Amino acid sequence: MVSTFHGLETARRGMTTQQYALQVTGQNIANANTTGYSRQRVNFTQTEPYPAPAMNRPQVPGQMGTGVQAGSIQRVREGYLDQQFRGENNKYGYWSAKSEAMEKMEDIMNEPSDNGLSKTMDRFWQSLQDLSVHPEDSGARSVVLQRGTAVAETFNYLSNSLTSIQKDIGSQLDTTVLEANSLLTQINGLNKQIGEIEPHKYLPNDLYDQRDALVDKLSQIVNISVEKVGSGGQSLDMAEGKYTIKLLDKNGTAIGTLVDGSDTSKVNEIKAVLSSDKSSLTSLTLKTGEDLAGTDMSGRLQGLKDSLKTDYPDMIKKLDNMASGFVAEFNRLHSGGYGLDSNSPSTNTGKNFFSGSTASDIKVILTNRNDVAAGSGGYSGDGGNALKLANVKNSSLPYGGETTSLQGYYEGAIGKMAVDSQEAARLADNSLVLSDSVENRRQSVSGVSIDEEMTNLIQFQHAFNAAARNITVVDEMLDKIINGMGVGGR
Amino acid sequence: MRVTQGMLTNNMLRHLSDSYKRMDKTQEQLSTGKKISRPSDDPVVAMKGMSYRSSLTEVEQFKRNLSEAYSWTESADSSLDEATNVMQRIRELTVQASNGTYEESQMQAIGKEITQLKDHLASIANTKVSGKYIFNGNDTTRAPVDLATGKVSTNTNDVKLELSQGIEVAVNIKPQNVFTKDLFGDIQDLETALSSGSSINGFLDKLDSHINNIVSERADLGARYNRIELIDDRVSNQEVIANRILSDNEDADMERVITDLKMQESVQRAALSAGARIIQPSLMDFLR
Repeated sequence: MVSTFHGLETARRGMTTQQYALQVTGQNIANANTTGYSRQRVNFTQTEPYPAPAMNRPQVPGQMGTGVQAGSIQRVREGYLDQQFRGENNKYGYWSAKSEAMEKMEDIMNEPSDNGLSKTMDRFWQSLQDLSVHPEDSGARSVVLQRGTAVAETFNYLSNSLTSIQKDIGSQLDTTVLEANSLLTQINGLNKQIGEIEPHKYLPNDLYDQRDALVDKLSQIVNISVEKVGSGGQSLDMAEGKYTIKLLDKNGTAIGTLVDGSDTSKVNEIKAVLSSDKSSLTSLTLKTGEDLAGTDMSGRLQGLKDSLKTDYPDMIKKLDNMASGFVAEFNRLHSGGYGLDSNSPSTNTGKNFFSGSTASDIKVILTNRNDVAAGSGGYSGDGGNALKLANVKNSSLPYGGETTSLQGYYEGAIGKMAVDSQEAARLADNSLVLSDSVENRRQSVSGVSIDEEMTNLIQFQHAFNAAARNITVVDEMLDKIINGMGVGGR
Repeated sequence: MRVTQGMLTNNMLRHLSDSYKRMDKTQEQLSTGKKISRPSDDPVVAMKGMSYRSSLTEVEQFKRNLSEAYSWTESADSSLDEATNVMQRIRELTVQASNGTYEESQMQAIGKEITQLKDHLASIANTKVSGKYIFNGNDTTRAPVDLATGKVSTNTNDVKLELSQGIEVAVNIKPQNVFTKDLFGDIQDLETALSSGSSINGFLDKLDSHINNIVSERADLGARYNRIELIDDRVSNQEVIANRILSDNEDADMERVITDLKMQESVQRAALSAGARIIQPSLMDFLR
């Protein structure tokens, strides 16, 4: 026999559960603009029907429902999209870091323009041509010295500026590693908390959200994979568990475990050791010893690593090759030429024009303008050597093992930089578009829609009202039974 | 696909910012007049730009060298013209003197005039153009002729200027071709013969051969002048071409950029007004 008050209890359960759902709707609306928030939904489940099948069950027809309960509150989220987003975000991290570094390099090189190295060299070449026309003119000689100094200074400036950006990239890499480690520690902390809550049949949705947001951030820095480790105890099936985060290389092969879901006692941090001026990377390892410096990874860390170890040193090396090849040939010709003597005709002084062998230390050492070796013979009006010097720019010489003209070598260097930079910018754009589109799809699943919440609000409100009305009906029925029945003839 | 307000606003913001980015690029093209502002905008344009700039500088330099070549050859030509006139005058005087009708004192007077003309010839040989002796080979800071010591330069080196890539042209007259020791020696002899009253037979032939020397050297100079003019034409053409190619390569097509800007402007307006519409009243506003 079903209890008289059965209907009351069923309706009460309905009211509380709908109220619960209204509560969650309120939470969704409140967090409509919270980054990383996934909308939540109450999983309604029916309560045990009466009677439960048993040997000594009462003989009543059929099983009767006993109402509803809020089974669980679950995030609406699709893990597959998270994985996709992190993949794209990782590529964006790599290309944006690289593109930023290349953009800075382009800014420094400042080509093609009217004040880059190319133009400065052209002006120097011009002054030598002028000298070849007016070898006896001390003004033309001064101009050659000045323009030569400008060339040396431009080399110095480019080399120094590139080096100082390289140092910036070094400290950026340092900071990025710190950031990654802080994310790892935070994720591990959340793992710990989640591992303490889940066994009690709870779903710590806000912790899940926080953790996923942190993993998203981490995915931009390094390529990672996420595996879930159950928390044990009475964890629900839909519990997310603890995350084991593995570091992957470019091809998706695991290099090491950063955060271990089954052991939350420690985090495997990334360790970057830079030279004291931060211009070079001494070592990059995991705390557990895996070497990352030689590993081709992806993500922002790798982008910075590439710029620091390859792109910038390459350009500096090319400038060095240019400077040393140019200085050697220029000096060779210069010391063979004839300067202007105070008691002309001119004499061979055998002096070098430049000193230094790298872009950073090239310098004009000639101080006396009459020592500029314009002549190839002993006469004051002889500008033959100046012409030879002017043609150093166009003559094929070995620059870093490559035989080409100075102009050609430099154009090659700028061309490579331009193509690299263009590629980086294009891929940064592309990966941003892709990660945006995945993010959109993720939002499509997890984002809060006010309209939807309002509709739910009305739905739950009506269900609540109806349950309340049900109580009124039961109340009226009881009133009939208690006060209206058994008073026949009264 | 389920669409939420958040997605709409995010997309709107992204599109607006993309549109601004394109406007910024167009604005940059407008204000600089250049297609590209950094090599990565178009690596090919950038690389070509560098080499075109370089060849333009080269051409500008060659033009400068050409004007110097003109200065040398024109000065030499006018000096040689003057030298021819002087020689003609000397010849005239020699012809007069060889008439046999002049007295000794008159002959001496002619001799004196010839002395003056010889000095003048020496000063022509010592012509200086912008501080350089143009008739002393590449020894340009010293005078080629010193009548006091009777020294005449024998410098055989050319003054060569590079007038076009790899093309060097000698722009000077060699001292031993025109203002030779012989020339001054013969005139000196003539002078002595006149003042001493000895015979001046045979001097006319010598003078004629010197005059011939000068004239043929002038012809040679004229030929070189023509060559310089040809090179000048070519270099001027190169300058025009280099400028045009540089401009084709780098300069923004203004009509296009302005049209782009106008188009971008309307896209921007559309994006903004679409944005204004996207922020819609929600269902909430209708539930009363």
